[in-house]
Amino acid sequence: MSAYEDLRAAADAVWAPIARPQRPLFVVSLNTSSIAGGATHTFDALRKLGEGAGFDVMLTGDTGIAWAEPVVQVQKPDGQRILYGHVTGDRADAFAQAALAGVAADFAVGVVAGPPVAGVPMLADLPWMKIQVRWMMEHCGVIDPENIDHYIALDGYKTFEEARAMERDQLIEVIKGSTLRGHSGSFFSTGTKWGFLKDAKAEPKYLVCNADEGDPGAWVNRVVMESDPHRLLEGMLIGAYATGAAYGWIYIRDEYPLAIERVRTAIDQARARGILGEDALGSGVRFDAEVVRGAGSYVCGDETGLIASVNDGRGMPKIKPPFPAQSGVLDRPTNVNNVETYADVTTLLKLGAATYSSVGSEANRGTKMFTVSGDVARGGCLEVPFGTKVRDLLAAAGGIAHGRALKAMQQGGPLSGMLPAEVALDLPLEPEPFRPLGAGMGGGGIVFVDDRACVVDLNLMFAHFLEDESCARCTTCRIGNQRMVEIFARTSRGEGEANDPDRLQSLAASFQNSNCFHGQLSPTIMNNTMQHFRAEYGAHVLEHRCPAKVCAPLVRYRVIDQGRAVDDAAKICPVEAFEKHGGKWQIDDVRCIRCNACKDVAPDDIVIEDRYVDAIPLRMIESAEVARAGGVRA
Amino acid sequence: MTVDNEATLEIQHLLRDFRPQDGDLLGALHAVQHRYGYIPRIAFRVVARQLRLSEAKVYGAATFYSEFRLTPSPATLVGWCSGPACRLKGSEGVRRMLESRLGITFGENTGDNKLGLHFAQCNGTCEYAPQVWVNGEVVGPLTAASTSDLVQKLKDEA
Repeated sequence: MSAYEDLRAAADAVWAPIARPQRPLFVVSLNTSSIAGGATHTFDALRKLGEGAGFDVMLTGDTGIAWAEPVVQVQKPDGQRILYGHVTGDRADAFAQAALAGVAADFAVGVVAGPPVAGVPMLADLPWMKIQVRWMMEHCGVIDPENIDHYIALDGYKTFEEARAMERDQLIEVIKGSTLRGHSGSFFSTGTKWGFLKDAKAEPKYLVCNADEGDPGAWVNRVVMESDPHRLLEGMLIGAYATGAAYGWIYIRDEYPLAIERVRTAIDQARARGILGEDALGSGVRFDAEVVRGAGSYVCGDETGLIASVNDGRGMPKIKPPFPAQSGVLDRPTNVNNVETYADVTTLLKLGAATYSSVGSEANRGTKMFTVSGDVARGGCLEVPFGTKVRDLLAAAGGIAHGRALKAMQQGGPLSGMLPAEVALDLPLEPEPFRPLGAGMGGGGIVFVDDRACVVDLNLMFAHFLEDESCARCTTCRIGNQRMVEIFARTSRGEGEANDPDRLQSLAASFQNSNCFHGQLSPTIMNNTMQHFRAEYGAHVLEHRCPAKVCAPLVRYRVIDQGRAVDDAAKICPVEAFEKHGGKWQIDDVRCIRCNACKDVAPDDIVIEDRYVDAIPLRMIESAEVARAGGVRA
Repeated sequence: MTVDNEATLEIQHLLRDFRPQDGDLLGALHAVQHRYGYIPRIAFRVVARQLRLSEAKVYGAATFYSEFRLTPSPATLVGWCSGPACRLKGSEGVRRMLESRLGITFGENTGDNKLGLHFAQCNGTCEYAPQVWVNGEVVGPLTAASTSDLVQKLKDEA
């Protein structure tokens, strides 16, 4: 038997009781999202209950169904499998009893396998699932990501076996021949990139996995690492064979401690099985890898920033050339792909080019993972064919929550833009259609924004982010983002100046002279919103009014009804802004910090209203007085 | 000449497996922070010696990243998520409540060093927005009002 066949036989023996359990098996999703919802307590509680009640408990990664976490799948010996949601630790007992007796209807999300159950939909029929083609996510919520045997039993590392049967050039041609391109937002041909590294002369060569997923609202790479880390490792191993790379660095952001832990476990297990190390599965391929833990820096998501970070230093992006394929980690030829890209290589080769190309758009075959969040009814991670319409993705996620209307889509992090509903909804999810709109699709994060949001407020938030995360090498980016913060900060105070739009345009032009994408793309959201939401911006500047009543300096809180809840509102106010005049509560506007706690407590008795309905900002009065006095305002 | 004291020796021991020219600087700094909760001044020299770098280079790297601390961490660190989903759901109100009830802002600790505020980046647990992380554990969704209760609880427990 070959080394692989030996591994496979051992793994099959481990997997068999999971695939055909002799007694009920409770599979608990333990991932960052579910743990935030209390899944650790669920897991512990079910473990304890299982000992007495005769069922087993296993952990799995992330089903993507963040909207129902903590999620538990119950697999019965008769083949019935039902996915349950909202199984918190305090309800675990009631849940387990009901699920063991039959179906825990209160918790049921969908039937995964087995006969239909009255009142419970088939999981595959849920809009959330129906839209998906789960190829990269095939093991997500199925296997224990901390057990390599589960992965091997489901044909894991078999793709590497098949890939190494090909010549290296042939393998790279297969990848080039597909439309597989970098999933991080760059969409550069992965096969071409691998070809650069293969042809590089210097030795040793290195692979880097970019897992510094810093776009706020994006967590697709986290889902892969926490649910199916070996799919990433197998992609890197295939890459090592194709390019001749000897070592890999997997650079994971500090905010993902569980992903760090699981990828490290996966590396250790792969090494123990002879998959990583001197001679991968007897193939002669020598490749090993380690995790580098990031420490909180957005620009390390730029490949040259990431390399600089690994190379003993500050993660400041560098000027290309030299390109990483010439000089990267430790000044050696290096290839950088992100987590999803390596996982997609495994997926492409596992499925075969024909199947892989059977879904997607003309220019982009295959699938892409997205995470949806914000004002959406159901947030989580989905894998859909390239070219899926935004409208359909949003519908699968249950639309906008609370019956509100979609105002805008903020996709791909702070560098990819924000588009209004009327433009966004019909966009196919692939990179090309975004470009003529002055935007990008980005790496998979999509934040849906409803009609209660203020674009000036969001611009201010993103400008702060961009300023904070600028590496400060280029003046255009360092100072440009400071200027952008200043302009949106004063706009949010109603103190925007008439020529600020010109200044923003001028800034947008100078940003183009920055070295890396961080600077060059910093004005994207500003450009998009100044184009599409000019009236809302104008209301802040010309009328000193925030139409959405979000910008704190432009609103005030007022008591309109002296209900009993106002007593509680007065009590909770952290700045004692509530005063009683003539037996009636009033809010001192000067002291009020607009934290909204009073309105949380007394929603019907307190209103948020325009601050300057009958007055204009003090600064405006001052400047008018100075002008009247014939002076020049500083 | 450097005189090695007990703390230096302990850090040296902590860093014994890290090597120069091997991409180990972040790992070394993490190891120190993991042990002490922050990176003490003295560690820069030890890290520099171990990795054969200048102290300035080590300091430069440590101060580049928002998750390395150069001052002792408080007993309870409250990370406020600055992400967009939280923003849309009222994180600014949560921030204002935290700052006013604790009397501190980001990067500061209360006078007794028991509570501190940290500006955190989105980790993708947006179903629990707006949220804070209490010593790494997600607490949410919050309102400004429930944040007031949370602060009281943290103060009582501190």
